[in-house]
Amino acid sequence: MQAWIQILISSVSLFFLLLILIRLMGKRNIVRMTPFRFVSYIVISIIAALMSLNLIANLTLGFIALGVWVLFPIGLDYLSLKSKWIHDIVNGKETVLIKHGKIMEENLLQTRLTGEELLRELRSKNAFNLADVEFAVMEDTGDINVFIKSHKKPVSPYDLGMKVAPIAEPQTVILDGNILNEPLFSLGFNTEWLGIQLETMGVSLDNVFIGQVDSSGDLYVDLFDDSVQLPQPKIKEMLYANFEKSQADLMSFALETQNQAAKQMYSEHAEKLEQLMEKLKPYLLR
Amino acid sequence: MTVASQVKKTLATLKGNQGTLRLYAAQTRNEETKSVYNEALETTGTIINDLERRVQTLENQEPQYKGN
Repeated sequence: MQAWIQILISSVSLFFLLLILIRLMGKRNIVRMTPFRFVSYIVISIIAALMSLNLIANLTLGFIALGVWVLFPIGLDYLSLKSKWIHDIVNGKETVLIKHGKIMEENLLQTRLTGEELLRELRSKNAFNLADVEFAVMEDTGDINVFIKSHKKPVSPYDLGMKVAPIAEPQTVILDGNILNEPLFSLGFNTEWLGIQLETMGVSLDNVFIGQVDSSGDLYVDLFDDSVQLPQPKIKEMLYANFEKSQADLMSFALETQNQAAKQMYSEHAEKLEQLMEKLKPYLLR
Repeated sequence: MTVASQVKKTLATLKGNQGTLRLYAAQTRNEETKSVYNEALETTGTIINDLERRVQTLENQEPQYKGN
């Protein structure tokens, strides 16, 4: 057999073999990997490269080495799932770098991190001011995570004591002018509904690049033709405005009428509507 | 505009609101939101009922404006 055919065959078969093996080793992000894990990936790729170029004369030996470097990390993963002790030995433990706003210098020394590097990492987490940091930890992957002091944290609706409507993730129902049936059905809609929505907007399906349905069932579309201006769905805001108008109407009726019973009925209902609007506000406006 | 027709206009707005609310109550996926919408539907329903009764009495008092 000619040498080039041999290399072609071994390369192609190793290509697919390695693809399967790497998939077996899990889908951990290559950036967030422990250093040892990174080393084992490199060793596997070097062995594969040597085998693919036929630099390892005895293929069996190559497969043994490959098997060890693939199976051992998988085995260690399973063992560290079962035992915290093994997990700590294999992956190491996180190191606290800043505690109660004070830098732990000896831990910094232990992780061999200089002050500049620590500051750079903090900046990348948007903590430019050291005084804002309450707690920082270096994970076993070498990542640094930061806990900002509570008075410097971005405000959340919870902090403001504000009620916000629960919003689930939107579902993409149109992509490249094609209707995606599965997400559409999971929302409880069908293609006829989508057709009606598009018709009321006045756009045709093949002009739509992306169409998304939010959790309240409103459709938002992006068109191929950017010169077409589409109004954003404002139905909820309109609904709230209409309630406001009705409430004002009821109040004026209550003022105008001479009939005592009617006056009371109007003002009672005006109050009821006001309470209702207060309750609906987070759902319709926010 | 007579009083009856003004009340009728408000009644129509409220009925429109009820329709939109019903649509949202049907198509929203979140149970909490759904229950809030349903509660709103109930409240609007009672207000609509009372207003309708009021329109009837108004029309009986001023039969010459009936239908306006």
